[in-house]
Amino acid sequence: MKKTVLIMILFAGMVIGGCATHNDPRDGGFFGGVAGLSGGSYKKRVAEREERLEELRAAQRALDSEKGQLEVQKSTAQAQLNKDQARVKAMQSEIAALDKKTKSLAASQVTDKQRVADLQKRVVSLKGKMNQQASSLDDLEGSGLGDVDMDLRRKQLEKQRDSLRREYDLLMKMQIELAQ
Amino acid sequence: MRIGSLLILAVTVVLTIHTAAQSAPLDEIRRVLWEDALVQPDPGALEILDESSLPELLKQIDPYARYFTAREYRSPTTRREGWLGIGGELIVGSGGIFLSVYKGGAADIAGVPDRSKLLEVDGKTVAGLEPQAVAALLKGAEGSIVHLTLDLPDERQSSVALIRTAFKPLDVELVPPGDRQVLRIREFIAGMTRPALQATIDFLARKGAPINGSLILDLRDAGGGDLYEAFDLADLFLPPGTLLGKVQTRGGEFTEIRASPGKKYLMPVVLIVGPGTASSAEIFAGALHQQGRAKLLGQQTYGKCSSQTDTHLSDGSVLRYTNREVVLPGGSSCSGAGLLPDREVSDAELIDIVLLVGEVDSLSVTE
Repeated sequence: MKKTVLIMILFAGMVIGGCATHNDPRDGGFFGGVAGLSGGSYKKRVAEREERLEELRAAQRALDSEKGQLEVQKSTAQAQLNKDQARVKAMQSEIAALDKKTKSLAASQVTDKQRVADLQKRVVSLKGKMNQQASSLDDLEGSGLGDVDMDLRRKQLEKQRDSLRREYDLLMKMQIELAQ
Repeated sequence: MRIGSLLILAVTVVLTIHTAAQSAPLDEIRRVLWEDALVQPDPGALEILDESSLPELLKQIDPYARYFTAREYRSPTTRREGWLGIGGELIVGSGGIFLSVYKGGAADIAGVPDRSKLLEVDGKTVAGLEPQAVAALLKGAEGSIVHLTLDLPDERQSSVALIRTAFKPLDVELVPPGDRQVLRIREFIAGMTRPALQATIDFLARKGAPINGSLILDLRDAGGGDLYEAFDLADLFLPPGTLLGKVQTRGGEFTEIRASPGKKYLMPVVLIVGPGTASSAEIFAGALHQQGRAKLLGQQTYGKCSSQTDTHLSDGSVLRYTNREVVLPGGSSCSGAGLLPDREVSDAELIDIVLLVGEVDSLSVTE
């Protein structure tokens, strides 16, 4: 009986000892924990953990800041896109008005029929290009392009819109001249 | 007309293949060609035009003449509204069929490198097939899947499943290695390619590309488009008043096209050209090259400096025919001759953009 109790105590000791592979008491080891408390390595461990924690917090802050920047960028891009879409829509209305005026000009007793026909053709072409601009802007998100190429597409559309604006101004001038 | 040892035929996979003409208004076609074609056809040739063999007979009158039903027609000078497919063009070379990959298309998204060699489509080998037959294999409904087996440029073999999707390509693409200002133009779209090129050059400058570094324009897949857009692009690089070319119309009348005032780009320009560089692209390249403003790298171009117009017929169908010839600043047309590069490269080099960029450096230094 005594022998059995002794074996059990020894076995229990081995089990407890088996847990004590770390010096940090927070790791749950009993002997190591006590040894850590008495040997000063507990404070060292705490300091190390705090340092690690601070590193993690710094990384989290950097991620938060990056996320914030991305959100600002996204919202700026969205605002720019909304602005571009509004501009294109306004130009579509202006071109529609120009188209209407040109049609009425064609129906009137204007002398230079050839120039009016040419103007009409160019207005129709401009209208088509402007509609394509509008749909390209609408499809910008989810176009499958990466960030750099999407940014490039935005710049190309912007420049093309400016170019179409100049073409519109020219056609408007032609229309006024022909109407006089 | 000389087409180089590497015959490049670009077949846009997203396009519909045109079918035979139906109920063509033959008298109208005869009248348009008689009155307006660059070279007035022989009355006998017009007389024998008939429905059943219209495409062949039109080609005998004018090699670039073509008839489209209203449903088939798409203007070559305007941007395509809807694209659907794998996002690539087939480039047929002496070594096989290669994929020219569009940014943002399904192939690009799946990571297929540009100029990968196509071996199989859905398990069917493409060896020996006509490009149109391969294009037909690649086409399908939006959302459907096509399996490709490819030889990648690094000589590894790869299998990839692509979902056919709708996409809109960039009007001017940045091609890797992008930090070297390699810009790819595939089409000259009226009123669109010039501002797109300006935006792309400005975009690169803002990204820190060297102001005096060579601008490399990749025209290998540029098969044409709007003639005046080609002049408008050349105009960006040449001083005001410089001759860009002369447009010849019926009866031998010439109209000179000269560079306009305005902002000009001054950096050195290198144009990558090949047998697939044709029409408006050759006129653009010829204007810059013959005015000493750009070097040409690659292979002899296709050789077509004529321009076609599309006339809408009374039933909504369209007749395309040649009505202008462009004489380059050097005094001759490129039709039938093509443009010769300052530095010629091999077929293997022509499909390797990294090697080509390396050649640009040696071209700038030594020539």
